Amino acid sequence: MARGPRCVEHARRASRRVASGILAVAVAGCAGSQNVLDPAGPPNRSVNHLFWAMLIVSSIIWVAVVVAALWALISRRRRTREDLEPVVIVPNERHRREVGIVTGLVGATVVILLLFLVYDFTVGRALAERPSRTLTIELIGHQWWWEVHYIDPDPSKLMVDANELHIPAGEPVQVKLSSQDVIHSFWVPNIIGKRDLIPGYTSSLFLDADKPGVYHAQCAEFCGLEHAKMALPVIVHSRADFTAWLAEARSPAAEPSDSSAAEGKKIFLAGTCSSCHAVTGVEAYGTIGPNLTHIGSRRTIAAGTLPNTRGNLGGWIVDPQSIKPGARMPSNQLAGKDLRNLIDYLETLK
Amino acid sequence: MLARGRTRCAHHCWRGIVAIAVATTLLASCKGDREREPTRLALVARPGPATTGGDTTARFSDDGQWVRPGKDFQGTRFSGLTEINNQNVQNLRAVATFSLGTTRGVEAAPIVSGTTMYIVTPFPNFVYALDLTQPGLPTKWTYKPRPVNASQGVACCDVVNRGLVVDNGKVIFNTLDGRTIALDAATGKELWITQVGNINIGESVTMAPLVVKGRVIVGVSGGEFGIRGWLKGLDENSGNVAWTAYHTGPDKDVLIGPNFKPFYKSDTAKDLGVNSWPPDQWKIGGAGVWGWVTYDPELDLIYYGTSNPGPWNPEVRPGDNKWSATLFARRPETGEAIWAYQLSPHDQHDYDAVNEDILVDMPWKGQRRKVLLRPDRNGYFYVIDRQTGEVLSAEPFGFINTTTGVDLKTGRLQYNPEKATRTGETVLYSCPAAPGAKDWQPSAYSPRTGLVYIPHQNLCMDEEGVEPNYIAGTPYVGTNVKMYAGPGGHRGLFDAWDPVGQHVVWSIKEDLPVWSGALVTAGDVAFYGTMDGWFKAVDARTGKPLWQFKTGSGIISQPMTYRGPDGKQYIAVLSGVGGWSGAIVAGGLDARDSSAALGFVNAMKDLPKKSTKGGMLYVFAL
Amino acid sequence: MCSRSDQWSVLGGRWSAVSVMTAVALLLLGCERENRRFSENPPTASPTASALVVSQLQPGPAVVRPQVEAPYDDNAWAVSEGKMLFNAMNCSGCHFQGGGGIGPPLMDAEWIYGSEPDQVFSSIADGRPNGMPAWKYKLSTQQIWELVSYVRSLSSLIPKGARNGRDDHMMTKPPESSTPQTKPKMASTPPEDD
Repeated sequence: MARGPRCVEHARRASRRVASGILAVAVAGCAGSQNVLDPAGPPNRSVNHLFWAMLIVSSIIWVAVVVAALWALISRRRRTREDLEPVVIVPNERHRREVGIVTGLVGATVVILLLFLVYDFTVGRALAERPSRTLTIELIGHQWWWEVHYIDPDPSKLMVDANELHIPAGEPVQVKLSSQDVIHSFWVPNIIGKRDLIPGYTSSLFLDADKPGVYHAQCAEFCGLEHAKMALPVIVHSRADFTAWLAEARSPAAEPSDSSAAEGKKIFLAGTCSSCHAVTGVEAYGTIGPNLTHIGSRRTIAAGTLPNTRGNLGGWIVDPQSIKPGARMPSNQLAGKDLRNLIDYLETLK
Repeated sequence: MLARGRTRCAHHCWRGIVAIAVATTLLASCKGDREREPTRLALVARPGPATTGGDTTARFSDDGQWVRPGKDFQGTRFSGLTEINNQNVQNLRAVATFSLGTTRGVEAAPIVSGTTMYIVTPFPNFVYALDLTQPGLPTKWTYKPRPVNASQGVACCDVVNRGLVVDNGKVIFNTLDGRTIALDAATGKELWITQVGNINIGESVTMAPLVVKGRVIVGVSGGEFGIRGWLKGLDENSGNVAWTAYHTGPDKDVLIGPNFKPFYKSDTAKDLGVNSWPPDQWKIGGAGVWGWVTYDPELDLIYYGTSNPGPWNPEVRPGDNKWSATLFARRPETGEAIWAYQLSPHDQHDYDAVNEDILVDMPWKGQRRKVLLRPDRNGYFYVIDRQTGEVLSAEPFGFINTTTGVDLKTGRLQYNPEKATRTGETVLYSCPAAPGAKDWQPSAYSPRTGLVYIPHQNLCMDEEGVEPNYIAGTPYVGTNVKMYAGPGGHRGLFDAWDPVGQHVVWSIKEDLPVWSGALVTAGDVAFYGTMDGWFKAVDARTGKPLWQFKTGSGIISQPMTYRGPDGKQYIAVLSGVGGWSGAIVAGGLDARDSSAALGFVNAMKDLPKKSTKGGMLYVFAL
Repeated sequence: MCSRSDQWSVLGGRWSAVSVMTAVALLLLGCERENRRFSENPPTASPTASALVVSQLQPGPAVVRPQVEAPYDDNAWAVSEGKMLFNAMNCSGCHFQGGGGIGPPLMDAEWIYGSEPDQVFSSIADGRPNGMPAWKYKLSTQQIWELVSYVRSLSSLIPKGARNGRDDHMMTKPPESSTPQTKPKMASTPPEDD
């Protein structure tokens, strides 16, 4: 009643198909802008390599152990029908060979684990290195948006932004994290792992990316009703692009040129907006809500909730509670013309 | 035998005579010292004749007037009148009273010019002219400027007014809603009104103007409202604004030009009023002027300091935050800045620099120097060369743990990092508290004793930084504060400070903060008032209490003295508790919230039992 | 064994029914307290908006005005939003945590312009002559109602369950939920006849 060779062959083919299927799915999940398996910077890459090395080696060992266990089961089963002899432990050659095999395997395990340990330690050490001169960014968490300060030793070069993080490629950036209300967590899978933003405390981590692109960060600590809608696009520029972007971003908002935007600016200042929002260069200094100096050039609004289009912006201004219920922004009943002018003005704030 | 005996006797006698002569001489010289308690051998400033310069002609001769709160341009608050002195002041009695018709804090000084006394009240800023020639001081005229009622909503620290000025037949004063008004001193008719402040952006005016060389110098309050502070010079005859000097922003707005020569390097770079702030933050950076302006006619310089930077929470405004908490020397006619010194860069604790700069000439390390004496909010008594801005000395006159000293090489205040105000953190036991070791209440200087008479407080605080939000016309502070008595438990002090030896000569502890101004006379009497209403006279040399009188309400105003039309000397003071320290009474606040009135309520919970509201003039004479 | 299980099932059945009913009752009680009404627009004042009076004095025999309900007096979430707005809009800059300063205290029993919800609403929206700014163009109706309930909670005029507890700031006074209720003075309802 042993399994026929064809059965075994069939089992092997089936298992190969399953394995390749799993691999295909895994590989498909390896790309993307919010993917820890698609590293965009050296530290994450080294962590990835460690991950894959451990996974592969462990998988091989696991498969070998499973195969050995199955074989032990099957072969034992084959023998028990015929061999009902009592088991006698006699220190003979076969026994010594078995002991040798076990010792060898244990030794191999220890060696492999030690190698893992050393590899892990070196990767960890490399990650923990503090680079000396870096750009510093302060990230302050709010319910449910991100406040970003680009720090400079010259205070007049400080730049305040919100809901988008821009960093240069190829150099480590120190990000100092704190929170204004509850604990949040900053997590950009492609670049670095999670670090909590704790109220009353400043923690820091280093972002090091070398592949320009747009990556997706997420709040990773439950922080209230809209925790799920607290994303942060992380845009990695090439060094030259970043310098240009920062210089542009430091300049105050330009005076709107066309009349509808000018009308919109009046509405912005005289209405409810300036009590909570700030725009550099304009008499709006509110700090309750995100800084809107560069709202016109953001890819998304409401902390990554919606793409930044006229329609979405209008909908957000008029009825934010239907998009992100519980957000601090109140509804603003604006007449159609006023809303259009206001959006025209906000679009000029690049 | 007799001859020998006589010779021996003569020898003894001769020794005895010499001994007696020496003893008599010693005793005779001792008599003069009896008035001074020999506690310390203090090297006292002996300023010589006409140290107050300019105004007075002969040593301590006095026209008996008091035409501006500081008495003279140098702000000494010293009167040369000697009729009332430390031997007869116990005979002082009240001879006239006048009700001001108000119930808020009274910080003004009564002003006497000619035979008329002029008083400006807290909001609604009534101006009374009282006839000193008639018994009972009847009113000659009353002026009601009717400031906008809503201006009460933008005054951080009670709706006070620190006084008016009489110059060239005009009474000039400021109203809470930001107007400077000139009246004819004889008739009370309006001569001109100039709107200088805007309450919708949090500006109000509480200071007493100074008139110098035809310019009315006026500054703005609102450091707690995120204003952009300024000082203006108005033309005395027309009221037109001749110049405006802002205290943040580019050099051209601060009226910093080619003649600007600050003493310290950190005050020299270009456009520091912009570059020492994050972008745009200087536009809401505070740095108003609501305290004292003094003037040196020889050097032709006005001296004054600017208020705290806004908001109180320093994390929002990294950088030195120039020109907040800065002492300026400017030309009165053009407003041009000649030098400046920032007393508290990147202030963390509301240490406004608006306190008085008393101008004296005194010996300093062997030379006579022209200095200014300033007991500052940050707790240091500064002696600064008023020609160059060099800090000669800065010694603590109160208990300080927020800073460790002033580095005289760089002029920089050294902060204690443990007491830095941080968002989300509560820092306990920071001393001095936000009102400082001394707030606006002006000290007085006696050229006779060479001492500065400092009324001040002893308070510490717990501070918590919170995120501030700026909305024009609303407070922009960002700090929760709770104040309480400092070490020793006494909340107030009246000290005599030796500016040359840099130490206290005598000190009187008071339970409540001493929030009134000081007055000192050539009769060697110093006067001050307490917040529970006692008006006190003490010996200017020893501090011995000589006389006191209980007025109807706490005293936070500035006592003064004058010679009446009958030739007699009178002392006058206004009572009426309030101000920041008395807000619990003036505003009827609730003591259960220890952060009320920016934390002061917690330190003054017992005040309602000790004083009620009111507003009254008291005049005393022998 | 069988009988015990019968006993248990009987007991379990009865007890479970009682506990279920109790739980349901408690949940229903908490319903309004925890209800988050994010986007709604309550009317500016009560349906009888014209019933607003600020003075206690009426000429002739007084008309007892209809009781005005505040939409959020029972709603703990709205009261906590009110507290957030109170600090964000700088109300605390003049009134501090109820003790007063530039503005009068809000935690005591004295109400200059009345403690009824529509009177407080008017104080906030319309402003008051001696320095209270007018917020009607800067805050939505819902936000002002949230502030109304928070301001009334400062002197414990709203149900205890809706009042705020301790927060994560320097404690300057006991939280509103621990403060005993006060009887407001200068209420607009005329005193009852003896």
